[in-house]
Amino acid sequence: MNKLNRRNFMTLAGASGAALAAGAGGSEQALAGSIKLQKGGRDFSPTTMKERKAIPTACWGCVTRDAMIGFVEDGRLKKLDGNPNSIRTMGVICAKAQAGVNQVYFPDRILYPLRRVGKRGEHKWKRVSWDAALDEIAARLKKLRDAGTPEKFMYHYGRHKASQAATMYDFMAAYGTKTIGNHTSICEGSKWVGQESLWGGMYDNWDYDNTEFVVNFGSNQFETHTNHIPTSQRLIRAMVDRGVPLYTFDVRLSATAAKSTEWVPIKPGKDGLVMLSMCNVIMNEGLYRKDHFKYMRVTADYHASVDDKIAAVKASVAKFTPEFAEQESGVPADKIKQIARGFAKAKSACLITYRGTCMHYHGADQERAAMLLAAITNNLDTKGGRVMGVGAGWKAPSSPKAKVHKGLNIKDGFPGEAAFPTHHVSQSVLPLIKDGQLGRPEVYWWSCHNPAYVYGDNKAIEEIMKDESLMPFTISSNIVYDESSALADIILPDVTYLERWDWEDMVSPPQVAEFYIRQPLVKPLGEARCQGDVWPDLAKRIGFELVYKDKEDYVRQSCEMTPGVKEAGGFEYMKKHGVWHDKSAKPNFGFYEKTVDVSGDGVILDEKTGVYWNWKKAGVASEAEAKSKGYLGTKGAKKAYVAQNIEGTARSAYPPNTKFLKSGLLDFYSDNFAAKGFPAFPTYTPVPEHEKMGKDDLILTTYKVAVHTHSRTSHCKWLTEIKHDNPAWINPKTAAERGIADGDEIKVVSDIGEMTTTAYVTEGVVPGIVAISYHLGRRYSGIYGSGNSDPINGGAAADRDAKNKWWKKHGNHPNALIPNWSDPISGAQRWMDTVVRVAKA
Amino acid sequence: MTDMKTPKINRREMLGGTGAAVAGAAALATPLKRADAAAKAPRWGMVMDLRRCIGCRACTVACKAENDVSLGRFRTVIQEKTWGTFPKTKKEFLPIMCNHCEGNKKDKVPPCVKVCPEYPGERRKWTSPSGEKIRYRHGATYKRPDGLILIDKSLCIGCGKCLDACPYGVRSFDPFVKAGKDPKKQAADKCDMCTHRVENGVEPACVTTCQGRARIFGDLNDPESSVSKLVKEHNLETPDNVLLADEGTDPQVFYIDPDNVLKTIYRQREKGKLDHYIDQIP
Amino acid sequence: MGTARNEMAENATARSQVYGLLAAVFRAEPTEVFLKEIKGSHFSKVFAELGVELGQEFYDRPEAELQEQLAVEFTRLFIGPGPHISAHESIFIDLDGSEGEHWGPATVAVKKFIETAGLDYEQSFAGLPDHVSVELEFLQRLAEWEARKWCEADAESADACLSVQMKFIAEHPIKWVPEFCAEIIKKAEQPFYREMAKVTRSFLQFDHDGMATMNADAGQGACA
Repeated sequence: MNKLNRRNFMTLAGASGAALAAGAGGSEQALAGSIKLQKGGRDFSPTTMKERKAIPTACWGCVTRDAMIGFVEDGRLKKLDGNPNSIRTMGVICAKAQAGVNQVYFPDRILYPLRRVGKRGEHKWKRVSWDAALDEIAARLKKLRDAGTPEKFMYHYGRHKASQAATMYDFMAAYGTKTIGNHTSICEGSKWVGQESLWGGMYDNWDYDNTEFVVNFGSNQFETHTNHIPTSQRLIRAMVDRGVPLYTFDVRLSATAAKSTEWVPIKPGKDGLVMLSMCNVIMNEGLYRKDHFKYMRVTADYHASVDDKIAAVKASVAKFTPEFAEQESGVPADKIKQIARGFAKAKSACLITYRGTCMHYHGADQERAAMLLAAITNNLDTKGGRVMGVGAGWKAPSSPKAKVHKGLNIKDGFPGEAAFPTHHVSQSVLPLIKDGQLGRPEVYWWSCHNPAYVYGDNKAIEEIMKDESLMPFTISSNIVYDESSALADIILPDVTYLERWDWEDMVSPPQVAEFYIRQPLVKPLGEARCQGDVWPDLAKRIGFELVYKDKEDYVRQSCEMTPGVKEAGGFEYMKKHGVWHDKSAKPNFGFYEKTVDVSGDGVILDEKTGVYWNWKKAGVASEAEAKSKGYLGTKGAKKAYVAQNIEGTARSAYPPNTKFLKSGLLDFYSDNFAAKGFPAFPTYTPVPEHEKMGKDDLILTTYKVAVHTHSRTSHCKWLTEIKHDNPAWINPKTAAERGIADGDEIKVVSDIGEMTTTAYVTEGVVPGIVAISYHLGRRYSGIYGSGNSDPINGGAAADRDAKNKWWKKHGNHPNALIPNWSDPISGAQRWMDTVVRVAKA
Repeated sequence: MTDMKTPKINRREMLGGTGAAVAGAAALATPLKRADAAAKAPRWGMVMDLRRCIGCRACTVACKAENDVSLGRFRTVIQEKTWGTFPKTKKEFLPIMCNHCEGNKKDKVPPCVKVCPEYPGERRKWTSPSGEKIRYRHGATYKRPDGLILIDKSLCIGCGKCLDACPYGVRSFDPFVKAGKDPKKQAADKCDMCTHRVENGVEPACVTTCQGRARIFGDLNDPESSVSKLVKEHNLETPDNVLLADEGTDPQVFYIDPDNVLKTIYRQREKGKLDHYIDQIP
Repeated sequence: MGTARNEMAENATARSQVYGLLAAVFRAEPTEVFLKEIKGSHFSKVFAELGVELGQEFYDRPEAELQEQLAVEFTRLFIGPGPHISAHESIFIDLDGSEGEHWGPATVAVKKFIETAGLDYEQSFAGLPDHVSVELEFLQRLAEWEARKWCEADAESADACLSVQMKFIAEHPIKWVPEFCAEIIKKAEQPFYREMAKVTRSFLQFDHDGMATMNADAGQGACA
């Protein structure tokens, strides 16, 4: 280019002026107001004083959602710490929460709406305005709605909770679609189904502050947990301060197993058997406590005496001798006896289970075995035991519902896949879309979700998402360009959790609800926008109104209408303090004991089950009809449940608060299960594929470490620096049989896929398995998560630290080896059942 | 009890966002307290209760965030090790950081300070929390009268002698900060016990976030402090409760270690290397 | 009206126009109107003089097609996903040792500078405060104000405003925009952004060197 001089400068200016006059400058200018130079601009000196703020907020790194304080300097988030006034978290947060700063500023963050211009997966994009993106989406959604087919809009979320979920459901109901997918079945759905069949609700918590003995099956409490920080710190405190023993049954020496009084190695899929065997010891040695039997139903008979029930339980668990359990599980019979005795004799005891126990074939039944063990020792919802979680009950505004409100039946698996998919079968959603027999959505929008990474057989899922004939129009709300958003038609830049409003409600271990909020610490980076702000805007474009104007307004309204919070000072109080709990509230234990007045109008006693129910609320015409049909024979009777007759007293017992129609008794004998051909009483059902294993076969197990979630942390440099490779744990014996040495490259092959990884030969894993953590091996996760490999190198320029990145490995993803197969009871993904062969690569 | 120092801001003000929060991003911890009878200068130290460390790495990451520590190096790490034979396998965790050593018996100067070409530099005065002015010798690496071993990056020449001299290998070059006296080189860096927090009455970042409460920080000169009580209760002033007692550095980070974790898993630095000080989960 | 003052007003107006155009180049993907103007006769002369070569294809392609092509190029160059040139000062500037981060100290410095001048960010503006187009737009606004002051015979304010502009240029765009433009020149696939980067770099340097504010032969005057 030639040099500028005054003459061509003036010509350039003239042309520019003409162009601007013709409207070439566009209308979207950045600066507003008019120039006001003090003293005409002499002594012009911008202020250099730093503006610092400390703002209460809440984490979202994982579902635990700790209350936090964010420290902000001049509009930049500098640091996060726990909120010391939180009764849940007691002021501490974990590594992932500390790395929240990375979530906001990681260099590959998506900051503008993008429209695909190439083929799906070709990585060719055009930035579009929010207006253009929302207009296009609104036009599609309006068409479906106007045609009376709102169900053809599917929304599939990974992590939505509290007001994030509530605003989304509010929009969807106002729009009219019930085709809303979630992810619980790949998390721990079987655990909840097992619990719901018994105590009529879900989410167990453990009262470590009062317990005397803890037994843990398949939970990595100290590293990761759905209520990690509130529970793990209390557990280690109980152990050190009060000498509470912790026994951990696990296939792997996790940090939890390592810090336990004893790690008890166990073969995969045998947790339920060992628990039943502990029941066997406790029943045979008379160590059970009678207290809870009156709330239990252990045979078809609703009116059995406690003694009959004791005899029946004894008979039912008789075959699960410690010797039999030893043979199957590898846990020595004496160890089972010792731990069973300790558990039963302790004044109070906690029984923990999680994915290691439940993400198997018949995982829901394994959870039922856990509940049995807790019940016969009177450790259900008692001080020091396994208790029903207590979370905050927020009130929130609600928008008018759509006249047409329906859904595609693609959330609960293929016909016959799962008997009780009360938490849905999310791993089958995309395979069902491919299959087409139950219909296909025309618009598929996922948010805080990464289907092409998180499900089993993820490469097949990716192919489905790529196929425009199956998925005509797709939208991704995300902060990072990942395996799934690479396949979207429109990417909407989401805010991080540190840039948005929410009310929060996660379970509080002191058994007193904690109400807390999340508030934005900084202005959303770039054009990122909170979905709670998008819903009212999108609704308007489609042609309906929501009752709140943005997420802040929604949270404000909720604070002003929620009892307790409102009186404390509502929204202003919450903004200032972040957390609130009722200081006069007593810890909530033993909800089942509450006596209930059954003299109300319409309340009758169902002789068969002993349930008091209000026939007037059950939708039956007359008392006579109610009596003839009976409680169990009346559709809708469940919501008319009032109380259970417990030895002549009407008590709240265990109300059927879920999809299971049951009495107020703990259904250890479950007609629901029996009717579907599943064991009525908790039992041991070996994993069929494990029974057919050849001598070279191994079982693949997956797990998480302390510094990563499944799919939303690998772009965080401080976390990935600590854990960026995920070699396969293999016992020296198992390795030697295959000629594998530590550090060798190995090939792991299943019936559906294979992967190459490194062997980590360790005494910290049971023989006969390989264990691979499952948060790495990202194809696209920015420079820190997936490296400088193909084809997306990331915006390394936006982090001065990028040149200090030193790790070259980015791990391998085991999901390609694991089929999407479900526990036939609950529909939960069988993460821990895959049979593989391992050989030197 | 009196406050060790009137914090520039208290936690209520910070919660309200009304005050000017302390430099960097200080947390809201209980303000550090000292007994009336405490000595004129504090002696800051730490107790690591290894029974309570669950290897969660919150400290490692909190430190990175608080001090904007670059990739490739750390100011504190967890070492972990698995040993034994299945099924009796064990694994343990060991948090390590700068020991803020008292220095050898003779001159009370730790090796990192002694080796610093900029030490002893000018005489300076340090004002104790009780207002007393205490003289000390400054340097690029120096020991302050409250016992903290600190780096003055404006004086650093980037020679790296302190990196080599530290038997624990907890120092590294900061790629973000140039050596003040030789801008062609990078300044040395390490744990400063979150001085910016401590001076404002707030505990170090690794301490406030420790979920096991395995890290306890305080004034070893104050017999009423938690650290002093723990040192006494667990008899921690023994060679078995500090790292590398033989080096004669007199570390001020003490370990409660009934299971002999230190002896079993502590991985020392290899000469000229810092691999032991990179936090990794296998 | 004095000739010198008129001339100063003319200079300021001219600078404002160039900054306005350059701000539009980087603010967003080009609109059809914008492309039509750039292709028009106003520019062909000066582009020829300056040796700005947009290529025949640029002139031959229908606007709609060209617009789409440049929108993809804009996204690839400045937005991502993938390697891109983030058009923000804080990415390039080493201030407090903190270069290379979104919303870094440089972002705050730019924001405070702009706010001290009495301006504010539009409610609808969702970008970062130190985007290149914001810095250019700010200079457009200041120069426009300066021109007005010359015309109002408020030489003191006009002069002070000019020094504020020079201060801003010296403290902000000149420190990073040339490097930013060099990156574009290296990575652009379409001649349009490559050439616009060259113009931007040249003009900024020209203005920084005081060339655009020098008194020269009297022009036609800028005060209506």
